Amino acid sequence: MSIEMQEKAFRNVILPLKDKLFRVALRITLDRAEAEDVVQDTMIRLWNMRDEWSEIESIEALCTTICKNLAIDRSQKKEAQNVELTPERVENFETSSPHDRMVTHENFEIVQQLIRELPEKQRLVLQLRDIEGESYKEIANELGQTEEQVKINLFRARQRIKQRFADIENYGL
Amino acid sequence: MDYKYIEQLLERYWLCETSLEEEQILRAFFAQSEIPANLMQYQSLFSYQMEQPKQEFLDEDFDQRVLEAIHVPVVKAQPLTLVSRFSGLMRAAAAVAVICLLSGAAQQLFSTSGNVASYKSAVGSADPQIAASQSATSNKQISRVAIADSVRASTTE
Repeated sequence: MSIEMQEKAFRNVILPLKDKLFRVALRITLDRAEAEDVVQDTMIRLWNMRDEWSEIESIEALCTTICKNLAIDRSQKKEAQNVELTPERVENFETSSPHDRMVTHENFEIVQQLIRELPEKQRLVLQLRDIEGESYKEIANELGQTEEQVKINLFRARQRIKQRFADIENYGL
Repeated sequence: MDYKYIEQLLERYWLCETSLEEEQILRAFFAQSEIPANLMQYQSLFSYQMEQPKQEFLDEDFDQRVLEAIHVPVVKAQPLTLVSRFSGLMRAAAAVAVICLLSGAAQQLFSTSGNVASYKSAVGSADPQIAASQSATSNKQISRVAIADSVRASTTE
């Protein structure tokens, strides 16, 4: 493949994955700037592997795997500093009226918080299934788990969220 | 309106028995404005699933940064001007010129100090009075010749 073709493939196939990768990284790092750096590093790695592209079964799965691993590396380094709870990220929700905006903002904040409370594996599976809309097979590929493990993680995540919703409904927790 | 179907879907959603399509139906349902009270509490969960991709994304500046990072020429690159194209060459030429100038100046400096010394040895030792008298006698000789010439001219007339 000529360099022009590789560049075209990069623009058309890899670069459009940036938003999904960003959200995956964000679920792990919980920090926008960190997540952005992770996505950029992922893209650069993929470019450096350009001579092996033809042997790769799924570029998207590989991108997600690399992105996930880079994000985990970073967040482990950050863990010592305990930057887990930084709520300034959920700021630009746009709805019709200020009141709506406040309510939506508040509700989204709650969901965001519930997802954040989940263990990392469950959080990632939930993100890929419920927000990115991926099949169990795709998720299993990307996260290096079996489909069975993916289903178990998703089941636990959804049960946990259901339970937390019940708590909020019953006791206002 | 009967919400049995949605309630069933929701139950199966918690148990991870729904397909991707069925989960999409749930999201579409909760995006409506009219939702029965008993289901209202889950609205934020499903609308969050729909909204998050619209809230969290990377802009075009990111593309630029990545493309620059992998050294792919960016589309809006500046055309090369004649000056910038030769700027490397110019710089090399300037360096050579500076070296030439410096060596020339150095040479000049050393050779002039040599000249001064030889000038001093030649002129400094000579007696100015001798020089003056020599020029005086030569002046007399010239005037003598001139007078002789004018005398000869007047006698032939």
